[in-house]
Amino acid sequence: MAETDLDGSGHDTHQHAGTAPMVEEVTDFEVLEIALRELAIEKGLFTAEDHRRYTEHVEQLEPAAGSRFVAKAWVDPDFRRLALDDAIAASQEMGIDWLHPTGFGTPSDFTAFELLEDTPTLHHVIVCTLCSCYPRPMLGMSPEWYRTPNYRRRIVRWPRQVLAEFGLYLSEDVEVRVEDSNSKHRFMVLPVRPDGTEGWSEEQLAEIVTRDCLIGVALPKPGVTSNATRPLHPAIRPVTSD
Amino acid sequence: MTTDHDISSVRVRTLEHIVERGQTWERMAARYRVTNPVPPWKSSLDATCDALDEEGATLPLLTRRDDEDRMSREVYTSLPYPENQLVALAHSLVARNVVDEDELAARLEAVRARLDAAGA
Repeated sequence: MAETDLDGSGHDTHQHAGTAPMVEEVTDFEVLEIALRELAIEKGLFTAEDHRRYTEHVEQLEPAAGSRFVAKAWVDPDFRRLALDDAIAASQEMGIDWLHPTGFGTPSDFTAFELLEDTPTLHHVIVCTLCSCYPRPMLGMSPEWYRTPNYRRRIVRWPRQVLAEFGLYLSEDVEVRVEDSNSKHRFMVLPVRPDGTEGWSEEQLAEIVTRDCLIGVALPKPGVTSNATRPLHPAIRPVTSD
Repeated sequence: MTTDHDISSVRVRTLEHIVERGQTWERMAARYRVTNPVPPWKSSLDATCDALDEEGATLPLLTRRDDEDRMSREVYTSLPYPENQLVALAHSLVARNVVDEDELAARLEAVRARLDAAGA
């Protein structure tokens, strides 16, 4: 394999004012991704058309869909009822079709979706203990920490402790329910609309419904419009229980 | 293929070489002052995983994810995400005899030559 010049002596790294420059170097990982894909297609594991279709699907997924969904449920009682009774139908009403891109969803986006309604005394949080099942049509691709065995193992055993690590401290009078996603069922949290948002538009409300709120590791709060950065923990075997 | 076969002891030197060279997105993005949080090949990798999951027989979803967890934890510990996801997938396909390592090495060389020629 040819060695790429990491010192950059053979590459032009000129800057473009006001725009993000490209990485003007072919990386081994880029090459590996292409090589694997080509070999898989040649071996008939899937077709180039399959891959193109899934790439388009993946690239249009984004967490803003879930934020808009919850904001609408907060301001529109009819939509809220529909969302709680039939979340797939409510999704379709917003233009999000869980049957894409194959006509029956994907193996990662099976078409059973349920909204988990929080109350002042009940809080939900989602996980996939087996792998990393996630409501992708609503939330896009899962964050790295959601995929880690550490989160998957510990959230079901010590939910309050793990939520506290995310900065979410719940009082003892709030019941915590951890919902385990699987290949046949996906969940998303409908948080309680926070105080201080009276009279807000759907667009304003959607801004504070972050991805973390929809997973259940954060609560919506006026002024907070982004997810917190958090460290990743290695998977360890817990030696004590609380 | 079984889903409980531990492939972490299988060495794939072609992949070890890639890990040693360490061209991770984190490093390359910093070097070229690019702000994208994930590398440009990530959506294509996700599509490859989806396509394999739909096919379902060659590398079942749970086997793929179990392998990814184990490889990231035990073998490719120095790699960040999503490089560990990509290398773990390659390791699974080689260790489970779907892709021959020599075949992979040859294809890497061919793809590299193509891409480098395009930038020359």
